[in-house]
Amino acid sequence: MSIITGKNICKSYGKDTLENKVLKNIDIEVSAGEFVAIMGKSGAGKSTLLYQLSALDKPTSGEITIDGKNILDFDESELVNFRLYTLGYIFQDYALIPDLNVTENVLTPLLMRGIDWKTAQKISKEVIDSVGLEGKYNNLPSQLSGGEQQRVSVARAIAGKPKILFADEPTANLDSVSGRSVIDLLAKLNEEGQTIVMVTHEEEYANHCNRIIRLEDGVVKKIEDRNYLLTNTTKGSVEHVAPINLPTY
Amino acid sequence: MRELRIGLFLGLRQIQRASLWTTLLIISVILFTFLNLVSVSGILIGIVDGAMHEVRTEAIGDISINPLDGETRIKETERLISELSSYHEIAAFSPRYVGMATIEANYKERRSLNAEPDIIAVNITGIDPEAEDETSNISSLVSEGEYLNPNESGYILLGKYSVDRYAAEFGDVFDSLKNIYPGDPVLVTVNNQTREFIVKGIVDSKVDQVSLAVYIPEREFRRMFDRVDHNANQVSVRLNHPYDETTVRDRLRESDLTELAKINSFTDDIPKFVVDIKGTFTLLGFFVGAIGIAVASITIFIIIFINALSRRRQIGILKAIGITRRTIEYAYVTQAIFYTIIGSTLGIIITQFGLIPYFIENPIDFPFSNASLSISPEGMMIRAGALLIVTIIAGFVPAWMITRQNTLNAILGRK
Repeated sequence: MSIITGKNICKSYGKDTLENKVLKNIDIEVSAGEFVAIMGKSGAGKSTLLYQLSALDKPTSGEITIDGKNILDFDESELVNFRLYTLGYIFQDYALIPDLNVTENVLTPLLMRGIDWKTAQKISKEVIDSVGLEGKYNNLPSQLSGGEQQRVSVARAIAGKPKILFADEPTANLDSVSGRSVIDLLAKLNEEGQTIVMVTHEEEYANHCNRIIRLEDGVVKKIEDRNYLLTNTTKGSVEHVAPINLPTY
Repeated sequence: MRELRIGLFLGLRQIQRASLWTTLLIISVILFTFLNLVSVSGILIGIVDGAMHEVRTEAIGDISINPLDGETRIKETERLISELSSYHEIAAFSPRYVGMATIEANYKERRSLNAEPDIIAVNITGIDPEAEDETSNISSLVSEGEYLNPNESGYILLGKYSVDRYAAEFGDVFDSLKNIYPGDPVLVTVNNQTREFIVKGIVDSKVDQVSLAVYIPEREFRRMFDRVDHNANQVSVRLNHPYDETTVRDRLRESDLTELAKINSFTDDIPKFVVDIKGTFTLLGFFVGAIGIAVASITIFIIIFINALSRRRQIGILKAIGITRRTIEYAYVTQAIFYTIIGSTLGIIITQFGLIPYFIENPIDFPFSNASLSISPEGMMIRAGALLIVTIIAGFVPAWMITRQNTLNAILGRK
């Protein structure tokens, strides 16, 4: 069952002769529980596609339906609620709030959902533990390594149990060890049923995904189904990591 | 409510993690703006209030009693005085006897009768030295020589404008006696009757009415002016603290004393031009204060705008993770309120415990008054409130402008 459906998605910047068509009539479907990678060279439009699918930007034309709702019809407050309850974001450069410590970064969206401070703190700490940052609750982002910051970003994104997790090159700023640990984390989440759409240019990390959508010059060039590869070749460390037990609330 | 709570949380965290220097800078801007608001209008009004205070304490008194219309003297002054003595609200009173006279100095040095005499016309005031001093503390105004001794006779106090070295600063405005000092003799002439007095002291007051007068004991005044009755031209009354002049005036008016004299409080006797000057200065203070507030609001706007602009990406991220625009706006308004409360509180403390006591001890020496800082606690609270409202607006507008921007553009730093 499709959780994301995009039809004829076009995105252009500029007008008339200066118009730059970044996405050209893209059709895309993502099923619930899938781990999809969007790949392509620089300028292929992969991040732009992610922004359209994740309701951070509006396409010039086309339709996007997420969880049965046409997100292009949303007004400002509906969009805020939709982002809060349905989507989770992981950004390339972590996008943490530097004034807030690890726990506060994770619990702020929970507070916005109306969860009381104590419960939000409890959930946040459990999620922080689950991403391997036990004891770093009160650290400020500036006191963490890049890999740790990205784990906080993951914790913040998953604390509210979103239906879809969007990750924009989550390993781009990390060394290979940290990058791998983040991908392992995402793979574990996916194993537990989390739908993930990730932009990456690392083939190695894309191998953990069910499908790879390859973009070239704003059009889908190739869709590769990796399920076959995942079951018949090495799965990296995915199988060896304990499952993440997210708290219930 | 939830948005407000989270906005408060985000705002307080921003303050907590902000650079100490930035925080101090913003608080200093608020503090100096507050002090500007308080001190400019406070000093302007203080000039008028200072002058009025001096006129009240040194000349008119809290209550002044004057002859009825068409009369030159207060009827049955002795009865009136006896009545005044029975009021526990009254601390002191002084009957004054006023008449015109001429004073001649340096007559002993005059070489010939044809030479021009050093002579001036004055208002001469007869006083009971003890009662007058208790009422107006006139002895503290004696800048040279000594105050009149009630047991002595033949001495005179000269107001400073009668003495050329003081009057010179006003050019030719006042007729004055040349080269006159305590101990020098002068001739006082009233109705062709001349008597020699010795200058006992010079009275230096910023109240013209006091500095223009000359004083002799009332006993000698009545003798020179043939005033066989004790009917005074004016009685000045000083009240005990904290009795209100209007209440005491009304009590006095309720008695039959109104048949003898006009009884006015000090406020009743304030000339209209003084009230007008005070109004003008208040308006001027308000105008200068308004400019100060405008400058402060622009400064705070710029500081918060730069702060919000430098956090534009964070604002975008907050929006992306589901934090509402209003919550983010509350966070910036929280900061503005925090800075204003701290800055204004410091301003109130500095004003109340630093500036006001300092100016009381060291008033600004204006020619017509000793100006101190005239600002009431209510006035300070009103100014702090005005500053708070302005800074809330100045804090809200930049946050509102930046939260309205496209979320993705804010995150990516695009225009």
